[in-house]
Amino acid sequence: MAEFLFEALGISKSFPGVMALQDVSLQMREASIHALLGENGAGKSTLIKIITGIHRPDAGELRLAGTPIELTSPRDAMAKRIGVVHQERNLIPRFSVGENIYLEQLAGRPLKPLRYPELYRQSRKWLDLLDLDVDPATPVSRLSVAKMQLVEIAKALALDSRVLLLDEPTASLTPHETVTLFKVLKRLRDDGVSMLFVSHKLEEVGELCDQVTVLRDGRNAAHSQPLQGLGRQDLVQLMIGRKEQIADWPARNFAAATPALALKGVSTILGHRDIDLTVKRGEILGLYGLVGAGRTELAKCIIGQFAVTEGSVEIQGKAVKIASVADAIHRHGIGYVSEDRKAEGLILMHSVLANAGITVWRNLGHHGLPLTDGRIRSRIEPFVRRLEVRTPSLAQLVGNLSGGNQQKISVAKWLAAGVKVLIVDEPSVGIDIKTKAYLHELLRELSDTGTAVLVITSDMPEMITLADRIAVMNDYRIEGTITNTRDYEEMSSRIMSLIHRVEAA
Amino acid sequence: MHPPSLQIMDISMPSDGPAAASLDASDTTLTPSPRVRRVRFYLTNEFGLVLLIIIFGAAFTFAVPRFLSHFNLFILGRTAAENIVIGFAMMVVVVTGGLDLSVGAIGVCAAMGGGWLMQVAGLPWPLAVIGGLLLGAALGFVNGWAVVRSGLHSFIITLASMSIFFGVMIFITRAQAFRSIPLSFASFAHIRYFGFISPLLLLAVVIMLALVYLYRLTALGREMLAAGARASAAELSGVRVKRVIILCHMLAGLLAGVAGLMLVARNDAAIPSMAGQLGQDWLLPAFLGPVLGGTLLSGGFVSPLGTLLGSFLLTLLTNGLLLLQIGQFWVEAVLGLLLLVAVLLDQARRSFIARRRMI
Repeated sequence: MAEFLFEALGISKSFPGVMALQDVSLQMREASIHALLGENGAGKSTLIKIITGIHRPDAGELRLAGTPIELTSPRDAMAKRIGVVHQERNLIPRFSVGENIYLEQLAGRPLKPLRYPELYRQSRKWLDLLDLDVDPATPVSRLSVAKMQLVEIAKALALDSRVLLLDEPTASLTPHETVTLFKVLKRLRDDGVSMLFVSHKLEEVGELCDQVTVLRDGRNAAHSQPLQGLGRQDLVQLMIGRKEQIADWPARNFAAATPALALKGVSTILGHRDIDLTVKRGEILGLYGLVGAGRTELAKCIIGQFAVTEGSVEIQGKAVKIASVADAIHRHGIGYVSEDRKAEGLILMHSVLANAGITVWRNLGHHGLPLTDGRIRSRIEPFVRRLEVRTPSLAQLVGNLSGGNQQKISVAKWLAAGVKVLIVDEPSVGIDIKTKAYLHELLRELSDTGTAVLVITSDMPEMITLADRIAVMNDYRIEGTITNTRDYEEMSSRIMSLIHRVEAA
Repeated sequence: MHPPSLQIMDISMPSDGPAAASLDASDTTLTPSPRVRRVRFYLTNEFGLVLLIIIFGAAFTFAVPRFLSHFNLFILGRTAAENIVIGFAMMVVVVTGGLDLSVGAIGVCAAMGGGWLMQVAGLPWPLAVIGGLLLGAALGFVNGWAVVRSGLHSFIITLASMSIFFGVMIFITRAQAFRSIPLSFASFAHIRYFGFISPLLLLAVVIMLALVYLYRLTALGREMLAAGARASAAELSGVRVKRVIILCHMLAGLLAGVAGLMLVARNDAAIPSMAGQLGQDWLLPAFLGPVLGGTLLSGGFVSPLGTLLGSFLLTLLTNGLLLLQIGQFWVEAVLGLLLLVAVLLDQARRSFIARRRMI
């Protein structure tokens, strides 16, 4: 028996424009839980996709119980009993819980008749193991998000996995559900399963895991070390590198500044209750919260995509009614940089010119002159240049650029539109550290020119770098607002205590 | 704070030595190198279509000398004009990633409406034409509104509206044709400039220029493309996606009306069956033109010139094959095959361009 049940050795992988992984290794022992940590964009997801056969590495080797293996498809990985619970939902909503749990196994024999009583009886077994009280015949679409998450775990368990990868499995779970899940995971560990646990919540990692691998910028910052003896701060240091990651910008005082955007007692159709929030001119307000806290949803209500049902929204001190996104942009000067760049932020099949110019077409077209490429170009080119977008030409398709350059364009279009309030949702997802620091400087400069910036991020160092004040959101409510002192320890513990205040009670 | 320097990443082909050298930081125009442009030109749909039109034109001339007669060229151009406008009607909806199966039904409805206004209401023909076109646009609005409100794919909506529009039209007109069409209107289909050019073909070219203007030089046209490429991103960038989609369907209805009225002029009559049962005779040319021309079926990219050339090519093939006295059924089969080959060739071309990153 080899010492390690599963190994990834010297893995490298690049995508057009991005070196995602460089010489990364990870060794998992039998009957243990291995933490995989790293910031957004550090390469965790890429590594998981390689281990589960979705991507193939450019260099390096995977070994199962000491034997080199090649995975050509997710099916291949499953056959070798490597199971995964992905971050994204992978359930078919209209299918029943039982059908979803056995989907992979059923797909292999398309013509075999299904015996539903048998299928549901077997599903029951896995659901019981997770303490999940759901009838296996229920369609998945009727379950809560947390229960769907547990069904995904049941699905991975049903494959009888020896190696189980869990990509942020607790992101949408309540503390109670998390405790239950951990009990199950520990039981699985004692049964000999080797697990890889990805999470942003370092407390959980400390409680649950035995070893840790940390990725930073696509490389190993720590390689399969025992977790014992590593404190929270050591892990943070490994994840973000130098401590001076948090820029030492002087504090700014906004006592005299006028509010650019103010929400007063706002409730929304998406379930926000009694939100009070003010962003002053020139200020960067951070909106922190865990996944599912309702931050992106709040942003989408502010920009008029979903309705505000109660309370008032004030722009530059005047109460306004924002009926549509077009209204928010063209009448009130509010821009929104989406967290989902590929789906909502940019039009990948269109050129840099079309993407950066989309916000100014209306305005340029008003004068009745033909809207030539040249006129759009002269309007947006200063911003494309200022942001140092690396592109061979403005005619280049945005889909061909790297993540960092794409993000620059999704910011550039709002600069070109000259918005007074900019909402930036997860500004550094999937971009490299250098660009990230650059974007941070840019947002700071932008705020110095009087633009009010609302930053939504789950990345604590980023939050503490950028924000002048931090509003903490939990369960569609604002739990409190604190002034950022840029002291990482202090801020993160104050933020966490605000989030957990409700749960502790 | 940041000097206005632009960093240029050279990702053009390695053999591009001299051309790429012009792309240094001092270059202020941010345009692709001439070499890349030239290669791209030869790979465009438009160039390929012109080539095919020349090849087939030469082949038909060689096989049937009658092909080049003034009369045949006139007939060819006039039929092409109809097919081109039918292609445009489909193209402006395909831009949104949708399609409009009811173009034929709307076209016939608009034509019958125009015919009624001329014959029964006795309006002067220009007013009747405007009335017919408005009816087309109104039916397009119904399509667009239903698509936007229901959230269903336009395939379902227009499949249903095709039957509804056509059925109601047959009910109202009792399937009677309007045959007293003023000569001054019908003459548009019969005048020949220089002996072989139909005014209808000129009209089709004018419409193409208008569409080029729309998509390249107006905010609305650019918004149509953005909404078609990715509706969610366009919405969050301030495009009123629903309104834009309705406008696309209205434009389709309007253009279908133009094509319908062209048919009225040619037939000297508005006949309920002039586009076949439910207007289905228009479907093949409606899709062939845009697809041959390089308009993406998934939306977001459009080529009015390509559609014009594509529709012209398909008319040329039909005309030539009929002159060769090949049965009509073979012509249909050839056109179907052409549609498939066009899609496959287009895929190959696209992946070649994407691999070389020549856009």
